[in-house]
Amino acid sequence: MSKFRKEEKKAAPGVNTSSLPDIVFMLLFFFMVATTSKESDPSVKVSQPEGVRTTDMTPYKQRSEIDFMYVGKPLNPARAAKYAEMGMEYLLFMDNVAQSTPDELYNVTAIRRWKLDKFDAKPERMSEPIESVITCIKADEGAPSGIIFDIRKELQEINALTVAYAVRDNGNI
Amino acid sequence: MARRGIPEINAGSMADIAFLLLIFFLVTTTMDKDQAYVRSIPKKVEIKNPDPVDIENRNICLIKANALNQLMVRDEIMSNPDEISDRVIDFYTTNEKKNDAGNDFPMYSHITKKEIEAGLIAAEKDAEDTEKVPGVMPEIVDYKWNIVNEWQAKMDAIELYGKNSLPEIHGQAHVRIEIQKATEYKLFAKIQSEIEEAIFELRDGAAMDVFGESYGTITRRYGMDKSVEDKKKIDLLKILYPDRFIEVAPKR
Repeated sequence: MSKFRKEEKKAAPGVNTSSLPDIVFMLLFFFMVATTSKESDPSVKVSQPEGVRTTDMTPYKQRSEIDFMYVGKPLNPARAAKYAEMGMEYLLFMDNVAQSTPDELYNVTAIRRWKLDKFDAKPERMSEPIESVITCIKADEGAPSGIIFDIRKELQEINALTVAYAVRDNGNI
Repeated sequence: MARRGIPEINAGSMADIAFLLLIFFLVTTTMDKDQAYVRSIPKKVEIKNPDPVDIENRNICLIKANALNQLMVRDEIMSNPDEISDRVIDFYTTNEKKNDAGNDFPMYSHITKKEIEAGLIAAEKDAEDTEKVPGVMPEIVDYKWNIVNEWQAKMDAIELYGKNSLPEIHGQAHVRIEIQKATEYKLFAKIQSEIEEAIFELRDGAAMDVFGESYGTITRRYGMDKSVEDKKKIDLLKILYPDRFIEVAPKR
């Protein structure tokens, strides 16, 4: 009879996970502070050109103070093909337009209605006159600039006189 | 009877809940900032001016781009768009110290404090007189008061500038962008970027001279606390190097 009994098979002790929630919460708070909410997911593909000395649109946000529009090729290949056939490679997309009529999303003549609707929907505390409400155009680098001027013309008609051309700041300061 | 201890709450699923929240925020938010160039669109005018003002060629810094994305700055074809900013700086600074009628750049006027004072008084008198005219259009009165405000701004500027005279570029001098419809947005944005860079550099130089701090510092600080001194500093720099851009709507 040996003095040393064979060690009984013991299960490996479980990892203490009691601080896991703390870690995850820390991550959560980091992301809550460091990010801002998306204004919308455009259904056109936009890769922005680069530029320097830009104005930061971030201080203006809450982003709802700025109205965004996008110019690019549709993400949906079937729709892209359909419009390309009609000679419209690059299309305009306005955020927060009802999705029920997808073709409305890409219509230049809808700009006025869209802009005025957005202006009416703004809360009281953002009571800037429509002249100074920024319309930010995010255009794909390959888009023809003529579209920009078509948009400007439409905005001019309704007296929305501040426009911003979005670029990606390549950050050499 | 023995009291049972309060049963502990099972916190095992706390992590799951936190993860759910975390993933929700990851999906609905974005980290990228929105950077842009802010421009204003001219107000629509109903009445066509039958007799538009002539602008001397020397006062226009014309930047043209065609459908093939070729560039032309002041009638000179350029291959490298990075040089636009240098041309714009030349446009602003060539005659800054000394006017030379022989070259093709905008003239500067050096206006003294006395002249500004006289101008301010004259403009105020003119505005008040206009107000008294019976049946005068309110737009005209507004226009006259705007002139008074401009003189007042110059007055503030020269006091801050601290020199005998305030250099001022010709009132018509502007940067004009002419593109064609098919010009790529990339090039259009590049032109905007170059102009912005030029203006920034000019104002930065003046800011270093006068205030000993960079233009970027002043604008950033103004963005945060909106102080009156910073506003005045920025106004002075804007009078020294005004950002007058005209973007011409393309015809073809």
